[in-house]
Amino acid sequence: MSGAVGREPVFPTRQSLGLMKSKLKGAETGHSLLKRKSEALTKRFREITRRIDEAKRKMGRVMQIAAFSLAEVSYAVGGDIGYQVQESAKQARFRVRAKQENVSGVFLPQFESYTQEGVNDFALTGLGKGGQQIQRCRETYARAVETLVELASLQTAFLILDEVIKVVNRRVNAIEHVIIPRTENTIKYINSELDELDREEFYRLKKVSGKKQRDTAAADAEILAARKKQEAEEAAAGGSAPAKPEPEAEAADVLGENEDNDVIF
Amino acid sequence: MEGLFFNTNGGFVEGVVRGYRNTLLTGQNYSNLVQCETIDGKYSLSSSDRLSTTLKFSPIDVKLQLGPAYGDFLAALPPNPSTSALAGKMTDKLVSEFRYLVAQSVGSTAKFLEYLTYGYMIDNIALLITGTLHERDTRELLERCHPLGWFETLPVLCVASNIEELYNSVLIETPLAPYFKGSLSHQDLDELNIEIVRNTLYKNYLEDFHNFVQTHPDFSGPTREIMSEILQFEADRRAINITLNSFGTELSKQERRKLYPEFGNLYPEGSLMLSRADDIEGVALAVSAVSDYKSFFDAVGLSQGGGGMGGMGGGPADGKSLEDLFYQKEMEMSKMVFTRQFTPAVVYAWMKLKEQEIRNVTWISECIAQNQKERIGNFISVF
Amino acid sequence: MASNATYKDRQLLAVIGDEDSVTGLLLAGIGHVTEGADAQRNFLVVDSKTETSQIEQAFRNFTEERKDIAILLINQHIAERIRHSVDTFADPFPAVLEIPSKDHPYDPEKDSVLKRVRRLFGE
Repeated sequence: MSGAVGREPVFPTRQSLGLMKSKLKGAETGHSLLKRKSEALTKRFREITRRIDEAKRKMGRVMQIAAFSLAEVSYAVGGDIGYQVQESAKQARFRVRAKQENVSGVFLPQFESYTQEGVNDFALTGLGKGGQQIQRCRETYARAVETLVELASLQTAFLILDEVIKVVNRRVNAIEHVIIPRTENTIKYINSELDELDREEFYRLKKVSGKKQRDTAAADAEILAARKKQEAEEAAAGGSAPAKPEPEAEAADVLGENEDNDVIF
Repeated sequence: MEGLFFNTNGGFVEGVVRGYRNTLLTGQNYSNLVQCETIDGKYSLSSSDRLSTTLKFSPIDVKLQLGPAYGDFLAALPPNPSTSALAGKMTDKLVSEFRYLVAQSVGSTAKFLEYLTYGYMIDNIALLITGTLHERDTRELLERCHPLGWFETLPVLCVASNIEELYNSVLIETPLAPYFKGSLSHQDLDELNIEIVRNTLYKNYLEDFHNFVQTHPDFSGPTREIMSEILQFEADRRAINITLNSFGTELSKQERRKLYPEFGNLYPEGSLMLSRADDIEGVALAVSAVSDYKSFFDAVGLSQGGGGMGGMGGGPADGKSLEDLFYQKEMEMSKMVFTRQFTPAVVYAWMKLKEQEIRNVTWISECIAQNQKERIGNFISVF
Repeated sequence: MASNATYKDRQLLAVIGDEDSVTGLLLAGIGHVTEGADAQRNFLVVDSKTETSQIEQAFRNFTEERKDIAILLINQHIAERIRHSVDTFADPFPAVLEIPSKDHPYDPEKDSVLKRVRRLFGE
C-alpha cells in the first residue's frame, strides 16, 4: 500500500513542508466539495433514471397508439401511402432546439420541440380519400414524437450525467485514496527527515565540543609536560654552565608559546 | 329484351362473378374473426388435427378463419405474417380472379372490365411520376404498383429519365393518354402537387367511364342505370372529400373546382356551392340537396373534420366517420347490384365488395396484432 | 461533453425504421431532405431486403457524419441487427433512441440505454 502511494519527490525542507501542508488542506477541501457535487449529481441521476424507465414504457404505449392511427389511415385510403409520403418529405416541420440546464456545474441539454410554421409537405396527401384520417394520424404521431423528444432529453442527460459522475467519482477517489495519503506521507517523510537532521546536528555539535575538550586536554598536558621538561632542564643547566644560554632562548620560545596558548583559551 | 343477347357474350362472366360473390365473408365469418387471438396460430397443429380443432374450439387465428375463402393463397404466408403481407395475399386472390374474368370476357364486357383497371393505373402512374420527379430508380417502384393497374407497357415507362420523357411515354404507351391530354402538360407534372395530378386524372377517368356506360349501345339496360348511380355517387364522394381535405391547404378554390367531376348528383349546383365552401358547414350546406349525404353529415355532426379530432377516438360518438359512412353506402349499393341481372356491373360491385373485405380483414388483423380490440368492430359488413 | 457550438445546430430528428414507422414519423413532419446536388434524406426505410451494411452505414452517417441531427430514432428490431454499433455508440449527441415498431412491441430488456440503467443499479 504505502509503496503504491509513495510520496512527492521533494527535498525535505521546511519550505516544502509548508507547501505540502497547504496542499493537504486544499485536497481535503476539494474532496469534500467534490463529494458533495457527486452526491447532488447522483441524486439527479437516480431521478432521471427512474423517469427514463417510466418514459420508455410510456413510449411503448404512445407508439402503439400512433401505429394504430396509421392502420386507420391505410383502412381509409385503402392503399399504401408510404412511398408518396417518403417522396414528398422536403423540409422538416418538426424540429428540436437544445437548451441547457445547469445541474451542479454540469450542463445538461434539454431538447425542446417546435414546429416550423408554414411547412407542410403532406397537406394534399389523401386529397381524394382518407385525408382526414391522415391529418389525424399526423397529429397523433406529432404527439408521439413529442414524447420521444422528451425521452431523448432524459436519455442524453442520463448519458452525460453518467459520464460526469464517473469523472467526479474518479476524482473523489483519486483525492481520497491517492493524493491525500501521498501528501500525508510526504509530510511524514519531511518531518522525519527534519527530525533526523536535527538529531544529526545535535550529535555533530556534541561531537565537536567533545573533540574540542579532548584537544584542550591534550594541549594542557603538553604544556604541562613542557614545563616539567623545562624545569628539569633548568635543574640540569645548573649542573653544566656552557650550555646555559641556548636553553634560555628556547625557554623564551616556550614561554611565548604558552602565552599564545593562553590567548587561545 | 336486353337480357336476350347478354348471355351470349356476358353470361359466363356474370355467372362466375355470382359464384365469387358467394365466397365473400359473411357477418358470421366476421364475428368469428373478431374473436381471434392471433393472426397466425402459434399452435403448430398438424393438418389432421386442424379440422377437429376447428370443430371443437372457438376460433383461434385469423388465417385459419380465412381458410375456406382464401385457401391456397394464404398457404404461402410466412409464419407470423404482418398484416400487410396478409392483405397482399388477399389482393393476389382478387387479382387472379379478376384476371380470369378478363380472360373470359369479350366485346363490350371486356371493355368495361378494362375501364375498371384504369383507376389503379392512375395510381401506378402517379407513383411513377413521383419516382421520376425525385430521380429514384423507378424499376424498384414496379413492385409497389397495384397489380390491377398493371399493363404490358408499364415497365417501358421506367425507361424515362426525366419528366418530359415520361409524359411522352405515358401518352404513347398507356390507355390513359386521353386523361392527360387537354388537362395536363408535362410542365404541370413537374409543378403541380402529385395529388392534384392524380385527382385531375381521376376526374377525367370518372367522366370518361360515365360517358362510356351512358353512350355504349350494349349497356342500354340495367348497366346504364346501375353504373350511373354508382359513378355519380363516386363522383360526389370525391368532390366532397376533396373539398373537406383541402381546407387549410394551399389549394385554391379555382384549382379545387377543376378537380370536381362534372357529373353526379351534386353537379352542377352542389358542385358550385362546394367550390365556394370555406368550412365544413359550407360543405354540409352544399350537399343538403341530396338527402343521403345530408343524413351522413347529420350523423357525423358538423364537428367532424373541424375541431374535434382529439386523440385516438377521432370520430364522433358512434365511431363512424364520414368516410366510413361513404364506404357503407358504397357497399350497400354494390350489394344491391347483385339483385340485377344481365349486366357486367356485377363485376364492379364484386370488386368493390372484395376490396372492402380486404380492408375489413386488414383492419381486424391490425386490431388483433396491436391489441386494440376496443375498435375492432369498426368494419363494414353487408352480408 | 459537447461544447455549445456542436449542439446548437442540431435541430433535426432522423429515423431508421420499417416502412410504417418511417411513414408515421414523416407524417409528423420530421422528414428533411437537404437541398443541392447531393440531396441527403434524414430517414432510411428498412425492409427485409435491406442489407445490414446499409443500415450500419446510415447509422454512421446519422451519428457521426451529419452534424444537424439531434435525435436518431431507430426501430428496436433494426437496432438489434446492428446491436454492436448501437451499444458502442455512447456519445450524448445525437441521442439514439430505440423505438418500438408496429410488428415488434417494445422490449425494455434489449434497450442499450436501459441495459446501462439496469447495470448501474445492479439488477
